[in-house]
This record gives sequence, C-alpha cells and structure tokens, in this order.
Amino acid sequence: MHIIVCMKQVPDPEGPREAFEINQTSGLVEPRGIPPVLSLFDENALEMALRIKDVHPAGAMISVLSMGKRISNAVMLKALAAGADEIVKVEDEALDAGRLDSFATAHLLAAAIRKTPFDLIITGRQAADFNDGQVGIGLAHILDLPVITVAHAVTVQGRELRAERVLAHGYEVMCTPMPAVIMASNEVGELRYPSMIQRREAKQKPVHTWRLADIGLVTPPARRLARRRLFAPELRERRCRIFSGSIPADAGRNLALQLKEDRVI
Amino acid sequence: MHTDKQVLVFIEMEADRIHPLAPESLEAGRQVAQGLHAELAAVIMGGAVSDAVRDVRHYGVERVYIVEHPLLETYHGEYFCQALSAACLTATPSVILMANTLTGLDLAPRLAWNLDAGLVTDCVAIEASDGEITFTKPIYSGNVMAVYAPVTMPMLITLRPRAFTPLSLSDAPQGEIVPVAVNLDQASVKTTVVERILEHGDGIRLETAERIVAGGRGIGKAEGFSLLKTMAETLGAAIGASRPPCDLGWVSAKAQVGQTGEIVAPGLYIAVGISGSTQHLAGMAGSKTIVAINKDPQANIFKVADYGVVGNYEDVIPVFTETLVEILT
Repeated sequence: MHIIVCMKQVPDPEGPREAFEINQTSGLVEPRGIPPVLSLFDENALEMALRIKDVHPAGAMISVLSMGKRISNAVMLKALAAGADEIVKVEDEALDAGRLDSFATAHLLAAAIRKTPFDLIITGRQAADFNDGQVGIGLAHILDLPVITVAHAVTVQGRELRAERVLAHGYEVMCTPMPAVIMASNEVGELRYPSMIQRREAKQKPVHTWRLADIGLVTPPARRLARRRLFAPELRERRCRIFSGSIPADAGRNLALQLKEDRVI
Repeated sequence: MHTDKQVLVFIEMEADRIHPLAPESLEAGRQVAQGLHAELAAVIMGGAVSDAVRDVRHYGVERVYIVEHPLLETYHGEYFCQALSAACLTATPSVILMANTLTGLDLAPRLAWNLDAGLVTDCVAIEASDGEITFTKPIYSGNVMAVYAPVTMPMLITLRPRAFTPLSLSDAPQGEIVPVAVNLDQASVKTTVVERILEHGDGIRLETAERIVAGGRGIGKAEGFSLLKTMAETLGAAIGASRPPCDLGWVSAKAQVGQTGEIVAPGLYIAVGISGSTQHLAGMAGSKTIVAINKDPQANIFKVADYGVVGNYEDVIPVFTETLVEILT
C-alpha cells in the first residue's frame, strides 16, 4: 500500500506579528526571521498515515510530497524521523505559495502524484498559511477519486477504506474503495515524537527533488481568484483590568461582581 | 428562467429548521447583492424543507430555490454537490455564499471544483466599490488580511461564523418558491455512509455558543476540567480548550479552539490556564469580551483580555462560580 501525504512548509505561525511583513509591490507576505515549519494540519495527515502503517507495518510505504519555491531538507527531516519512508520535493522558483491559489496548487500536486502508482492520498484540513481547505477535494476531482473530509480515524481492510468523519454532534463512518483521498481533521492529534535512533536513521532516507518540468509542466496553471491587496489587521485595543484580593478567592468574587455590573453577564 | 443577476445563499438545515448561522449568511448575501445590484435568493435542500422555507421567507429574499429528495435527508457531500450544482444551473448566480461550518467546508470546495469556480473560504468582510466586489479573509494565523476579487463567475464564498451581524427578520414573509427537480445519480457516488454515531448531552456547541469557558495547559490534569464544567453550566457556556489539553487527552479533541481547531467569536470568552499562543489567539481574539485567569502575570493572554485575574485557577474559580450562582439566580 503506497500512501502519499501532502505536506507544506509554512512560516512558523507562532512568529510575532511584525515578522509577517507585507510587500505591497510584489503583493506577497515576506516572513522575516522566522523559520519554516511543517503545516500543523499536514502533521495531522502524516500522523494518520503512520497509524495505518502501525497496523500494516510490512505493507505500507509512506511518501511525503511537498511543493514550494524553496523546501528546507532540515524541516522535512522531521517527517522522515516520525516514520515517513521518503520525501518527494517539487521545488521550483515558479512555485511561490503566495502566487498560487488552491486551483493551481491542486493541479500541480496532481501532476506530481500521477507519476507514481498509489493507493491513498492524505492531506491536512487546510494549510496554515492561506487556510483555503480546497486542495484535498481538488485532488480528488482532478484524479477522479473518492474523497472523505474531516476524517479523524481511518482503517484499511483489503481494498476498502473506512473513515470516521467528524460531525457537529458526533461522527459518521464512511466507506470507499481505494485509491481515495482523505482530508485529515485536527482531531487526529499531534504528530508522534521520534526517538534519537529514528532521528539518526532519518538522515539515510531518500529525498527526491523534482522541478516543474519533471512533472510535465512549464508554467503553473492559471488562478481562479485575483488577490487585490494585503493589509495588516487592526488590533482591537484592549486594556486588561486585573482583579486582585488579599486572597485569590476574593479576586474571583470581585471579577464576577464586575462582570455583572458591566452587563457582560 | 429570468435574466436578473442573483446572489445565492445556501441555507444549511438543522433538525428541519434553518441553521442558527443562516441569518448571518443571509446578511452577507444581502451585502453582495447590494454591491452587485443583484437579487438575493436562497437555496434549501433536504428530505422535507417546508419548515425551513417558512423560516427563510422572513429574511427579505426574492426567491427560495428548494431541492427536496430522500437522498438529501442528511448531509452527503456527493449528493449535496449534485443537487446544489443543479440549483445553480437553474439560478445562474453570480456569487454563492454559505457558512463555514463542517458542512460548508466540505460542500463549498466540491461545488467550486464541479463548477470550475473560484472560492474564498473563511471570509470575514465584503466590500463593494467602483463596481467591483471584494472578499477579505485572514491568512497567516490572522497576522495578515487578504482581499480577493473574482476572476470568473460564479464565485463561491464561505463565511466565518460571527463575522457578520445576523440579518433581522422582516414582518411579512416574501420570496417566490422555485422547486428544482433533480435526478441524483447514485451510480457515480463513490462513498457510502455506514453509520452515524451521535453524541448526546454533550453540552453546547462551540460554533454557535454565546459564551465559552476554555482551559489550557495550566489546568494541569483532566480532572481540572470539572471545575470549568461547573462554571460553564452556571453560565450556559460551551467548553473549549487550547491545543495541549486536546493532545494530552484531558478533553475531547473537538473542544479545540484556535487556528488549528475551531475559530470562535462568542460574546464572552473565559480563558483559564491558557498562555495565549498565536494560533490560539487567532481562533478567539474576535470574542466580544475576554476574561483571562492565569497564574503567570506575563502570559500573552492578558494582552488580548478585558478582565484578568492573576492566580491559581483552583483557588479562583470555585468562588467565582459561587458568586455567579448568587447573582444569576
């Protein structure tokens, strides 16, 4: 069973606000002084793939597919250490995430995916930079595959896939034949922590680099949306009123009384 | 059928009525319709939609498209996409809007790919000027806002809950009812729902909660959440959490508030033992009033809070809750 997990590198979302510098001329965000990290949502996707491999240790091979202008090998090492078997990078100057929309991204990833046989594609719920949440469904559409979104658990039996899909009041169990696309939900939980041995071994695992031409494309597909401008959001000024008391309990009481007086409750 | 430009709002149903977020979607639709000099229309799909249609005709819509079919009784992405595509073929809308709920985030991309349309998800503002309509969404964990305009029509939009003021009810019901006949193709459907497991008595949902009580790593243990639950029950609030308590299994993973969980904007958000990571703040900073209880006076959460208590939550909350009981009853 060959599982492809799509993982994107994004500027660390925990970086300070000033680090997300807007270049009005280029219309792009230029992160300053913050390192790239794996998108958290895509870590959920990899964790889901690893759980399948836990059950089918001999039969599952996990490839991580990442696309971008520049992809840090050091960052991808985390995926290999956690248990992925190989990295496929589609790295090209033309592949600036800020210039691609979901429509173009899905077409590019689909072109790369078509190069190898596979059984399952897992993506995150969305990417942590543009939060579009459209690429997984786009891949399924382009490759004519079934797709199950917001899945928090999957099991594989033969050629059949069973996924638990999150609902507002519970979950539903969905079945589909493979090959298929799964969009993992954040409820999957965080990516496992690798051991020292796994970290060392990760450095020996293969990392392949492809250019745009290698996936049979010369230029990225056209966009469906025009981004007119970027701006920094206005921060609402909040002045925090701190409550205290000679004992902590008094602070709790004073807070409740003030909330009542201010008609918050 | 008619040549007027239309803006179509997809109305999600909940227990045969319109979803609590529907009036917000209708308000966003009204803004787009005004900007484009178009008519506002709604579409409702389900097994039986008459109650929901009655609800929606109180929101000043010109037309209500209805798609009734037994296969639309509960949400299934492939059937709903087929049905909504058929409604779009009849209505030929310029813009299609829906709430960014679990249903919306499955249905909108399906429809976008099916109609070959652009989609802006998680939209928080709409502006119309010089004959162009633009849609704004937060990117990079809310550190930057991006403004998009359509390249092709139709264009799809999903709306962040609580970003738009709900449209108010009009006195007289109005809106022509237009049934859309669909021939749902079962042969092309690739996924099957085997069973639905519904949770009962799980309290109030984050998505529509007016008040949220959330705990973070500072709660220290699963049992700590019982203090928060008592407080939440007193306030009629939903229980939320930052990421660590979910990863550590102290609360359900569905309780996670933040960029990587649910984005909320209730009237009151009480953050207990939450330090205030960027990704958490991106999911709750839009709340009207924020209260922070944390033992670290330097915690980031105090920067976005309106009220704060520096102290150990186990000392503060019991008396806070007792006082709430006194003043709220």
